Amino acid sequence: MHELSVALEICRIAEEKLGPGEAGRLVAVGVEIGEQAGIEPDNLTFCLEALLGAPPFGSARPEITRLPGDTLRVSYLEVDDGRPDD
Amino acid sequence: MAVRTIEVRERVMARNDELAAQVRSTLRQAGVVALNLVSSPGSGKTALLERTLEVLGEELDVAVVTGDVQTQNDADRLARRTDRLVQAVVTGGACHLDALQVQTALAALDLNRTRLLFIENVGNLVCPASWDLGEESKVVVFSVTEGEDKPLKYPKMFREARYAVLNKVDLLPHLRFDLSKAVANARQVNPALRFFFTSALSGEGMDAWYDFLRERVRECVPA
Repeated sequence: MHELSVALEICRIAEEKLGPGEAGRLVAVGVEIGEQAGIEPDNLTFCLEALLGAPPFGSARPEITRLPGDTLRVSYLEVDDGRPDD
Repeated sequence: MAVRTIEVRERVMARNDELAAQVRSTLRQAGVVALNLVSSPGSGKTALLERTLEVLGEELDVAVVTGDVQTQNDADRLARRTDRLVQAVVTGGACHLDALQVQTALAALDLNRTRLLFIENVGNLVCPASWDLGEESKVVVFSVTEGEDKPLKYPKMFREARYAVLNKVDLLPHLRFDLSKAVANARQVNPALRFFFTSALSGEGMDAWYDFLRERVRECVPA
């Protein structure tokens, strides 16, 4: 039920870590969720998909990893740096 | 498309926990014991507080921050029992209080005239377990009409709590509620949980609860 609050905080953290103008080029947000974290992963995914598909983001996707324990953290961000593939 | 990875490794609750630490520090400096009352809706948190305010409101300088989803009903009920300030937080649909809301509410309270603070959380046994509000302890209230397996269904809340109030015990003769089984279930998820058995309606068991609150306030000295 509180997954939307958690998703909003994840988006706030992402915005804080990204440079100016990078939010629109965000591709993925890695989130680690412990089995005891009190978070329903499908529900959080639903909330994150809605938030990450709207401004200031473009069409980023959440990438959820399940862990034991009560971890709940943003592990990484993937950004399209605009350069063609090497 | 070349993708760059930014390592973050930041706990989602880090910001809330930072604010909660500030709240905890403010309360400790002022010598205020803060108890976060959590429960499902209808377990009797507000009734427990009404009765507690009647008996201890003046004696222990009790103040209350109460959170409700959409109304000020609980705050209005409590304000009739005390002239101490009752600060209401209407969460506007959110299912829990967070540390920022409590910090904001504290600004309206005179902490120098407060020794015991109750934070009445939103009635919900899931979400409030995840939010540290800067309280000294969480007190989980559940009632004999709810079923003995509540602690097993909502283990995180019962693990987070230090104290449990089993309320509405005046109804026990009318129910098939196995009290010892409820306690055993709770101790299965949290062996250290300290229990109080109360009826906020009849007053049964309330003396032990009052004595506990007096003891907590007596033991708390400003940091």
